[in-house]
Amino acid sequence: MQSSYGQSHRRAWGILASLAALSMCLPSHGAPKIENTVAWADDLSPVVEADWSYELAAHLLERAGFGGTPEEIQALADMPVTEAVNRIVDYESIDASALLDFEESGLWDPGMDPFPPSRAEAVRIARAEGRALGVEVLSLGSARRLQPVVDKFFYGLRANVLETRRVALWWADRMVATPRPLEEKMTLFWHGHFATSETKVRDYRKLLLQNKTLREHATGNFRDLLLAVMRDPAMLVYLDNGQNVKDHPNENFGRELLELFTMGVGNYTEHDIREASRAFTGWTNDVLEFRVDQDKHDDGMKEFLGKRGAFDGEDIVDIILAQPVTAEFVSSKIYRFFVREGPTTATKTRLANIFREAEYELKPLLRAIFLSRDFYSAPSVATQIKSPVQLLASTYRKLGLARAPTIPDFNAQTRRLGQILLYPPNVAGWSGGRTWITPATLLERGNAVREVLFPQDPESFGHPDRRLPGIYERVAQRLAKGMNITNATRSGDSGSSMLADADEEYNTRYGGYRGYVLAYERIKLVPRQAADFNLAAMVRDSGAETASEAVDHLMKRFLRTPLAAADRDELVNLLAKDVGSQSLAVNPTELEIALRSVLYVMLCSPEYQLG
Amino acid sequence: MDLRHLATNSRRRDFLRQGLNGLGIGIGLPALLRSTSNALAADALDGGSGSNPERILVVVELTGGNDGLNTVVPYRNDEYYRVRPRIGIRKDDAIAISDEAGLHPSLVGFERLYKDGKLAVVEGCGYPDPSLSHFSSMSFWHTGVPNGGETLGWVGRFADAYSDAGIRNAVVNIGPSQSLAVRGNLHPPLVFAEPAQLRREGSETEKRSIASLDLNADSQNPTLAFLRSVARNAADSGALVRDAWSSYRTPVDYGIAGGLSSDLRKVAALISAGLPTQVYYVAYRGNSFDTHVHQADLHSRLLMYTADAIRGFMVDMGRIGRAADVAMMVFTEFGRRIEENASEGTDHGTAGPMFLVGDGVKGGFYGTTPSLTDTDAGNLKMTTDFRRVYATMISEWMGHTDTSSILKDEFEPLGAFS
Repeated sequence: MQSSYGQSHRRAWGILASLAALSMCLPSHGAPKIENTVAWADDLSPVVEADWSYELAAHLLERAGFGGTPEEIQALADMPVTEAVNRIVDYESIDASALLDFEESGLWDPGMDPFPPSRAEAVRIARAEGRALGVEVLSLGSARRLQPVVDKFFYGLRANVLETRRVALWWADRMVATPRPLEEKMTLFWHGHFATSETKVRDYRKLLLQNKTLREHATGNFRDLLLAVMRDPAMLVYLDNGQNVKDHPNENFGRELLELFTMGVGNYTEHDIREASRAFTGWTNDVLEFRVDQDKHDDGMKEFLGKRGAFDGEDIVDIILAQPVTAEFVSSKIYRFFVREGPTTATKTRLANIFREAEYELKPLLRAIFLSRDFYSAPSVATQIKSPVQLLASTYRKLGLARAPTIPDFNAQTRRLGQILLYPPNVAGWSGGRTWITPATLLERGNAVREVLFPQDPESFGHPDRRLPGIYERVAQRLAKGMNITNATRSGDSGSSMLADADEEYNTRYGGYRGYVLAYERIKLVPRQAADFNLAAMVRDSGAETASEAVDHLMKRFLRTPLAAADRDELVNLLAKDVGSQSLAVNPTELEIALRSVLYVMLCSPEYQLG
Repeated sequence: MDLRHLATNSRRRDFLRQGLNGLGIGIGLPALLRSTSNALAADALDGGSGSNPERILVVVELTGGNDGLNTVVPYRNDEYYRVRPRIGIRKDDAIAISDEAGLHPSLVGFERLYKDGKLAVVEGCGYPDPSLSHFSSMSFWHTGVPNGGETLGWVGRFADAYSDAGIRNAVVNIGPSQSLAVRGNLHPPLVFAEPAQLRREGSETEKRSIASLDLNADSQNPTLAFLRSVARNAADSGALVRDAWSSYRTPVDYGIAGGLSSDLRKVAALISAGLPTQVYYVAYRGNSFDTHVHQADLHSRLLMYTADAIRGFMVDMGRIGRAADVAMMVFTEFGRRIEENASEGTDHGTAGPMFLVGDGVKGGFYGTTPSLTDTDAGNLKMTTDFRRVYATMISEWMGHTDTSSILKDEFEPLGAFS
């Protein structure tokens, strides 16, 4: 396993990359300087062969995927431009069978379905039926007779959080390891578009299922994707469609379908929302299966966006897709994700036309974007702020890692920067762009990268997914000293507001503590390993012999817009000082640490936040 | 810079002027923006634009859905006791502040503010088509656009529209993550949970090198220019916040330490240090107010923390001579159901009271008490759109009469400030 975390070429790129290594010494063909591409803005005609270059290929890989090594970029640059774009877009031909499936811990047992929405509800069921969540209440007269149910409830909550984090780590690893970067990039786009969070779904299985659905349709047909999402258990739960029933329609689902998923606010009325919601009544799920409850479905006449009929949900989707604004809303959002803010009206219209003419097939749209001069124009290149996930995943890819390291923890790092996979902040997804940046997150972006370059050793890193929160740690300590449950769970002087023994039928704090312990017994431990890479070898392999050549190589490898000359000189001086010479050969034992130090400073720059 | 010398009004004015003209903060801005910002600032300082640049708004979020009916208690209403037989606040326990309404007995701090005429209670605050989801409803309050799909927060949009481009830290959000409410385009809020977090890791050499990166360089790339401006802000504010915090001492009692009281102390430290911040945003962590089960003790404690911390904060503002410049707005994402539930708690509901606190507030009651019998399927019908309260803070307190550009519609202010 050790080697799989190390530096190596990713499978499909391997052969191409080694060919590319030969050509890297050659000057690239007549590449346009990015500065000279200002006039390309809003020009959707394709770039021509003479324009295609290392710089353009680097931009393509940065945006359509998660960046890559100079070798991977050069391999793309060496292809004809249409072939390079096809290689990105038509990724199905690239073998991805080496990517691992998610390994489930098996936390669920049949008694846990359906999972009660609250502890209070679990307790109510237990009192009424003598069992809940697959466990029996204790016999009358027993102390805390409902405790097993409460323990199991907290176990369910905790275990799902932990397993969802494992799903997020698995996905992050795919982003780093995949030979099909656009597949994961589009899956990430759809995750932000059809935003669904564990905080409400509370079931990793549904989130994993949704993730697979988004990936399956990532660059397929938008109609298929939309219908799949409207039938997706995670979405049905997230938008309360289980409560959307005949006579009492819940409009959450219908509203978000129109507002966030397809048309955008201002293009329909409240009446349209109500009618659409009626058409989706009865759409529900049996745990992981979509089901239409005909008894709860309203099959009456509806009036929606000027049409009349006894519509069901699928009819509603087709009426929405027939609206010109839908193609424009969705294609413009895709454009903003891959290219930049604020497409002009003319650009929006042209993108929408491409999308509609292709009957909502996504690939023609993506191909047009990735081939367009606009995509490679000065206002588009290196003007996007990387999302926290993009920042970390692309750092790993630029380091040439085959797998995402687990030290530092991917979720913990992106969390401090404001993004957690499978936990979008609300149904509108992440706002993105400049909203990623605050003074604190900008500092933290540097600090997070430092933990990659100077990772903690596994011993001191330990297992963050096995730590008890302070309040339960104290409970554990008191129980270990032989205290009874009541005393062990008594509030300290901390003014904690958590109730402990409020109800003699169970102890809430003990239940919370037991939930953690039971979850830790069941959930697979994430193996912890830091990134294994060798900057000194990378720099030497590039042919660099001096401090300034080394800094230039690192800039080429990591930055999409160069540092100002004075800043570059500062880094050259820093490196020369650390190794004691301009020549890299003088002090080889200090070279690796000195390079990491210089790279850290470089990656703290505002320039590194741009992709 | 000795921050203690910036504590008074006139000092803060100097700080604003210096910030724009003297301290070189505007240097990295494009020339046009710079001249605009100077003109605006001069205007603002001279009262020309009608805005109140000295004034500070502190927003307090009672996260999780505060039970409004047990906060401002309709102690003369038999229906209240009928639907809340076990958890209703007894008539004798409520702190009567009007013929109809009494405060929860833990709100002693609010009682004193009310008697001093510094507390306004706005009843029945909500919005049309209320969501009972924490998540959706909170995002509606954060964006100020219920059911609208807005991605920026109302405080962020406020700062975008009205905070001078040259002011750093126009918005400060104390918390582990940035609230949607403060999300804007032009003024990245200063977000931190602990002042110590605003620091750069690394060796001294590395930190020196990072500090030497030229953040004032011009760039044709607008995103890079933006990043450099935030980086300057981070470099400057980090030390500012840590210094402000470490030099701040107060004899004032904010109640039990932790949670809201320590966050409001951080706000006080920054105000005391003379930061030009216009809006501070603090929130309870987690869904503290989500009192589904056995709520009496928990809710009582939460209200005590809240009232003690808020009153302590206002006393502290008086101590440093800034009480006239600070107003607070307290809100929650929804009230709770009228009827208590089977577990001696309350489930998610709709409308609830908001509170305005400050020397400039005209104390008393605003809006109409929602009916307990004419309900929306067991939930209170809102009587005051919460955006009227936002409009009140924007226009009556902060002095910007055009509120519709922020709130996307016209909302009539309450007349709650003198």
